Amino acid sequence: MSRSITTRLIVLLTLCATLIIGVGMLVDYRLSRDSILERLRVESQETIGSVIIDLENLLDGVEGSTLFLARILEQRSYTQPGLEQMLKDIVENNEDIFGASIALDPAQVDNPLGFAPYYYHKDGILTYADLADQQYNYRAQPWYADTVAAGKANWADPYFDEGGGGILMTTFAVPVYRLDERNQRFLYAVVTADLALDELQHYLKRLKLGNSGYATMLSRTGIILSGRNPDNIMRHYSEAHSDELDNPAWQAMFTSALAGQNITRQLECPEIAGKCIIRMGSLKSTGWPVAVLYSEQEILTPLRKFQAKSAILGLATLLFMSLAVYSVTRRITGPLTALALASDRMARGDLDTAMPTAKGDDEIARLLRSFTAMKTDLKSYIADLETATASRSRVEGELAAASEIQMSMLPQGGEAIDLHQEYGLWAKVRPAKSVGGDLYSYYRSNNQLFIAVGDVSDKGVPAALFMAKAISLIQQMASAETEPAAAMAQLNNALEAGNDNCMFVTLFLGVLDLNNLQLRFASAGHTAPSLLRAGAVTVIDQDDGPAVGLATNLQYATNTLQLAAGDRLAIYTDGIDESFNEKAEMFGFDGFNRCLAKTAMAAIDAAGLAIFAAIDKHAGTTAQSDDITLMLLQLKPDELTSTTKPEQAATSFTTAEHLTTRALDWLQQALESLGAPEDTHMVLALVTEEIITNIDKYGGLTPEGIIDVKVEVSASSISLEIRDQGIAFNPLVDAIRSPLGTDIESAEIGGLGVHLVTELTDEQVYQRIDGHNVLRVTKSVSEGTIS
Amino acid sequence: MDLKTTVSIDEENSVARVALTGALNTDTAPGFEQQLQKVVAGGHRLTVLDMKDLEYISSAGLRVIFKAAKQTKSAGHRLAAANRKPHIDKVFEILKALPDMAVFANDQELDDYLDSMQEQVRGQ
Repeated sequence: MSRSITTRLIVLLTLCATLIIGVGMLVDYRLSRDSILERLRVESQETIGSVIIDLENLLDGVEGSTLFLARILEQRSYTQPGLEQMLKDIVENNEDIFGASIALDPAQVDNPLGFAPYYYHKDGILTYADLADQQYNYRAQPWYADTVAAGKANWADPYFDEGGGGILMTTFAVPVYRLDERNQRFLYAVVTADLALDELQHYLKRLKLGNSGYATMLSRTGIILSGRNPDNIMRHYSEAHSDELDNPAWQAMFTSALAGQNITRQLECPEIAGKCIIRMGSLKSTGWPVAVLYSEQEILTPLRKFQAKSAILGLATLLFMSLAVYSVTRRITGPLTALALASDRMARGDLDTAMPTAKGDDEIARLLRSFTAMKTDLKSYIADLETATASRSRVEGELAAASEIQMSMLPQGGEAIDLHQEYGLWAKVRPAKSVGGDLYSYYRSNNQLFIAVGDVSDKGVPAALFMAKAISLIQQMASAETEPAAAMAQLNNALEAGNDNCMFVTLFLGVLDLNNLQLRFASAGHTAPSLLRAGAVTVIDQDDGPAVGLATNLQYATNTLQLAAGDRLAIYTDGIDESFNEKAEMFGFDGFNRCLAKTAMAAIDAAGLAIFAAIDKHAGTTAQSDDITLMLLQLKPDELTSTTKPEQAATSFTTAEHLTTRALDWLQQALESLGAPEDTHMVLALVTEEIITNIDKYGGLTPEGIIDVKVEVSASSISLEIRDQGIAFNPLVDAIRSPLGTDIESAEIGGLGVHLVTELTDEQVYQRIDGHNVLRVTKSVSEGTIS
Repeated sequence: MDLKTTVSIDEENSVARVALTGALNTDTAPGFEQQLQKVVAGGHRLTVLDMKDLEYISSAGLRVIFKAAKQTKSAGHRLAAANRKPHIDKVFEILKALPDMAVFANDQELDDYLDSMQEQVRGQ
């Protein structure tokens, strides 16, 4: 499953999607973060700016009121109640001012303690206090003494006022100078306005950024005027958080702020976890540094939350996508998996296995339908094949049985040997198919031997059925007592009846009278028998009629053949002479007759089988095309009349000069002394010359090479046997034969000798024996010779 | 058996007559070939092989005759055989030798042919 399409698709697509979403989120985070930080910077700047403006306004207001009062006092003189009244009005009408005082230089008043009325808001009620008090001694107070010493308006560092307010405050003090009669300037009074630090705190609280962010304000000396922790107020900043602060950094910031610069730093902050961002500036009027502190972490929290949401969303998207891919691929691969399983079952032979059903018309559906169709076709094909096989094996079985039955109709079941004192008979049928149309029969009654050989037209089952009819009729109608010609006519009429298919039989029927060896026979279109007598084969001249079975009331002639002891009669069907080889050449009558002559010395069964073997050798790989039947009838040789052994003469020649003349001279003498008929001499001389000339030319013999020549003369034939030790060479096959019958222009010079040898003799046999070429040619004496 | 050859030439009619006596076989063929070549080289219009006394001929002899027949034919002349004995005739027949070669069964046929040749020459 790990390598399934589903898994691969899910893994691949998820990886791609993760990559895309991840990169998207990263880019988004960077952009969002930058934009948030930028916005925050702008916002904080605006907020700080507005708070500072408000603070400046506040301070300006206090300064302005105080300066205004001072300006009036410079120019006009008031009674003490008048001064008090004026002071009361200012404090009453100016909420920002906690309290105000006009402290006259004691030299200007009668009272040695001086005159210093002070109005202030105490718990919301305008209260009066006289600072000209022995104990307080306002001339010693910093706001008075420092201002007089400085000679100009200034903001005092914050302090705890014990004089009246009893609160933390800071004071704006303005010295008031007047001119005397001598235009000498003298100190008249110091006018002050107090500002409660709580008031500043009120403004600074607006500078709140994030949950833990806060603002703080320091005095020019570094005293904390306002901050988150009230306990730290009025303490020096370096003392307030001495453990936590990076003092040099703060010192640097503080110094820069005093110099009027705006600075932003990222530092460890008091009271805020982690790094924080500090923006520090200063108030123009007082020069007090004001700082805003906030946690970057906290500021970016919404962004983080947003990113977390995005990540969750991304994961959810991936999950849904995976599910979708899984479900889609399952829909595609599901049928394929089912198909693979079904195919496995089909391969194991289960053709009834259920196929996954195809929905729609997509590629998968088409594949499924093709497979289903294939399964159906395969099933019906196999069923057909089974039926065909069954019926074929049934037919084969039936044919085998039919063949057995058919052969059982023939004497000795298709291959017969019947040996008697006077004669021997051998016969064999070999059908081209399981069953065939050839037949033979024989039977002896007293000294009459009845023989029959037939060949039904066509072959196979139709021929076999007709053959069965024919052989039954032959065995019924023909016998040793019946004249063959009459039996043939009778058979013809019987076979013709109802023969709508026009089947026919070529038939040889014969009766041999063993008393006088006279054979009477009739032939219905059958191949003429061959007679082997004294080593020579003669084709019997016969008067034959048409094949039986085609027309009624036909007459057949009786042939008479006088046989002699030692004769061998061969009766055969045309399957023998019409046996073809790969080159479509027929075995032929000559082939058969030569074969018959060659096997003359063998016993009839061995001779018969040798002839069958020769036919098979000729046919080679070509299938037997027709049924083959051969019957050999051998008459036992009579001791008194048996032929004598042939006379023979033999000699050897070297290949020296005049070979031809020497050989022909010897041959002439040999033939004469052996009593060979005179008219054969020239033919034999010619044949001998051609053979030995060929050996001399092509045999590769040395000048001492020997050629043996043997001549045998019998009553019926003359044989020449010529042996040499030359290179293996079969002149009958390998010698050059120029084409015959060409005109002068295209005639080839040479290549004629072998033609003469084969034309002038009846049989030629070449053998390679013990390193010798042995060529034996036989000339039949009974046949016509030259002359 | 040996072979004797008698050559007589009728220059007037451009006819060479080669009479063969004996056997034309492998042994005698080379000698005969030499003689016949000489005759053929003479460029006669007609060369007649008179076989009246030829007792025997083998393929070696036929080879010589084939060769001469080709040569005369290509030179625009003719080679003819006359008076073939039956068994010589049979050899020619078996080998279907030179069906287009002129053959005269006897002297009479040959003479008639020679006369007609002379007529043609005079006629030209």
